[in-house]
Amino acid sequence: MATKKLRVTWPASLTTVIAIAILPVLTACGTPAASPTPVAAPTDTPATAPQSSATDTPTAQASAPPSPTVPPTVVTGGEGCAAGATRLVWYVGLGAGGDAEVIPKEKAWVDNFNKSQSEACLILQVVHNPESYDTLKAMLAAGTAPDIVGPVGKAGRASFQGAWADISPLAQKSGFDLSKYDPALLDFTKDEGVLVGIPFALFPSFIYYNKALFDEARLPYPPHKVGEKYQGKEWNLDTLSELAQKLTVDANGNDATSPNFDPKNITQFGYYEQFTDARGIAALFGGGLPYDPADPKTAKIPDNWRAAWKWYYDSIWKYHFAPNADYQNSDLLAKGNPFSSGNVAMAHTHTWYTCCFDVKKLNWDIAVMPSVNGKITAKLHGDTFAILKQSKNQELAFKVISKMVVDKDLYQIYGGMPAIPEDRPEFFKTLSERVAPNKVDWSVAEEMVKYPDLPNHESWLPNLIKANDLFTKFRTLMDQTPGLDMDKEIDKLQQQLDAVFKEAP
Amino acid sequence: MSDMSDTQTAPAGLTGAGPAGRIITLKQRSARWGLLFLTPWFIGFVAFQLLPIVSTIFLSFTDYNATTEFKPGNFNMVGLDNYARLFNDPQLLQSLSVTLKYVVIAVPIGLVVPLMFAVLVNSRHLLAPNIFRTLFYLPTVIPIVAAVMVFQGMLNAQSGWINLGLKAVGIEGPRWLSDPDWAIPALSLLGLWGVGNAMLIFLGALQGVPTELYEAATIDGANGVQRFFRITVPLISPVIFYNITLGVIGAFQYFVVAMLIGGRNGDPQGATLFYNLHFYRTAFVFNEMGYGSVLALLLFVIVMILTAIMFFFGQRVVYYAGSEG
Repeated sequence: MATKKLRVTWPASLTTVIAIAILPVLTACGTPAASPTPVAAPTDTPATAPQSSATDTPTAQASAPPSPTVPPTVVTGGEGCAAGATRLVWYVGLGAGGDAEVIPKEKAWVDNFNKSQSEACLILQVVHNPESYDTLKAMLAAGTAPDIVGPVGKAGRASFQGAWADISPLAQKSGFDLSKYDPALLDFTKDEGVLVGIPFALFPSFIYYNKALFDEARLPYPPHKVGEKYQGKEWNLDTLSELAQKLTVDANGNDATSPNFDPKNITQFGYYEQFTDARGIAALFGGGLPYDPADPKTAKIPDNWRAAWKWYYDSIWKYHFAPNADYQNSDLLAKGNPFSSGNVAMAHTHTWYTCCFDVKKLNWDIAVMPSVNGKITAKLHGDTFAILKQSKNQELAFKVISKMVVDKDLYQIYGGMPAIPEDRPEFFKTLSERVAPNKVDWSVAEEMVKYPDLPNHESWLPNLIKANDLFTKFRTLMDQTPGLDMDKEIDKLQQQLDAVFKEAP
Repeated sequence: MSDMSDTQTAPAGLTGAGPAGRIITLKQRSARWGLLFLTPWFIGFVAFQLLPIVSTIFLSFTDYNATTEFKPGNFNMVGLDNYARLFNDPQLLQSLSVTLKYVVIAVPIGLVVPLMFAVLVNSRHLLAPNIFRTLFYLPTVIPIVAAVMVFQGMLNAQSGWINLGLKAVGIEGPRWLSDPDWAIPALSLLGLWGVGNAMLIFLGALQGVPTELYEAATIDGANGVQRFFRITVPLISPVIFYNITLGVIGAFQYFVVAMLIGGRNGDPQGATLFYNLHFYRTAFVFNEMGYGSVLALLLFVIVMILTAIMFFFGQRVVYYAGSEG
């Protein structure tokens, strides 16, 4: 018997209409996302920053790739090397250097370096930041670790605690004079008391501001000099908060000081703590350590950190001049890179951020940090090139990095302020050419180096990776959750930190 | 049958001499060729499956930290310590709870929706059915990462199209990706993107249902709903069961989307901390390969038990035409 499909009396047009109605759901055309910015990580370290910033937090690896084009892993073949030169692998990706734009410059630098000497044959391996941590771990586990890693900051190194070689004996053996560096800077390059690199570049933080938004609001620009007043008032956090509220505007044109202000329809924000974790925010109120110095295994959140987090939380949920997580990841704020959107008037971040927005197109400048309780703190990042313990050519690797850390081209490639003050004028001159027609007052950056957060917000902690993980989560919690009892949440964080610290070997 | 008898019965020309003049039977020759063709798979299986499984079991008894080379001296044997840790890991329960929540919400949705689509595109009253089948399937060929990027934009509470649409009709949309209560529903919604595969499988099953059964039922006075639940569903129950099994296993292996949406911390507030994400964090973020291996093995055990349970009950409710009669 021939089989036939049963005919049901059902209007064909209705069936087709249902099918058509379903299609948009499946072909869901959300606003095209130029970059996948995960909800969880936008605040840790940037979407864009991990690739370009010199310093990143370990959490950065979780951030989805920020740049529109994800650069592939790049390995050079050691072209131009002298016959018999020892091969050294230079691994880039934990911090700066993974950007598609930077890779050709790095390759060119390596080629020139290989041609300039006959002892070492440098092989460049660049891995996209989010994958770079796992890739390096796999290489370490397989016993095929690279020789040189960098640029890499404290937090990046923390993910590979114990894997770095001690530089001191290598420096001593090669006669390298470490005394020309500021001892504080050398301390900054130590992990758990071990010098793991030669200071390379500094990345002070300050306020980036959008001049166009200030002009539009007819407000004067924030101070460029320490001690300068703003509209007759001391340049402190209260003044900054008030200014930020005036610069926060809703869809109806009301600013955040207006009783008619609608926080659910904000179109412009006054301030943003760009690309940092909870420790970075806390540093606004001064450096500190989250444990009892007498007993590092007992967590104790400093009072200034509590105050900083409460201020930050209120800036989002009470005064509305800082964006919450939904706003941060919205189209309005360039999906996780708020200052670059042109809709944020002021953002606090580091020198490396020049990597991550259109420095020529946006009308911007930089201002000094406001004081808090009479004291200015500008959190500081510092990067170096480090040598892995697994390297079989540590002495030669040291020779190479001793050249890298004073190389003017590498300063420019990575946007880092030279650790040696004499090299800075030339660095800023080239940077000024890069940001033209903007005329950026780089004296602010030099000034802010004098106000570092001590202890540094990336400094060592017991069980550092897990502790940093908690700080990252804490910032996300603040960014995502209205109605928190901050004292209770901070106490909870302290308990969690305590447990993590006590787990430390 | 012995090899000798094979040799004796093998037609001329199908036996040959081995290196030492030994007679090779047809069966032996076939076996050799078979093994030769199997070799690539076998090498792949040993290198990429068996060895990692054995390594995982071995690692689960060590305290190996992933920042050092994997060689003797860089790890200690810790006995069952890593297994004991399962009982003191609060994130284990949290991640299992998130995963189960997802199974409960997403698996039924991932079953019902493609079935509905399949019924729709199987309808004789749909104009241009092939076009709709293609269009419904099309999202499946888009890489999941690209799909997630699109959905991130769509689900943004401020600028996403879903909330803008809701706002247009006076409804304030939820904070899909930042409210812990909405994270799993958001991921389930996102899962609809890829129902094309399941839809095709259902479509194949629907087209295999003999139409004379429908005709007989119609003559007996059955309406559409009765025909669907009393004829279609029982007859396609093996495919439903197949999709449930794959759905549950898939849910326990859920990782990429969760990682891209909630980051490696499982945000908001751990609402997307799926089991696999917990495993990833342990092994590849905190470098605790020993405990990470235990988590991997536990996942295997959980999935195996669930599959066994499903098959146990599946035998009772699934209709297998071939087993009758």
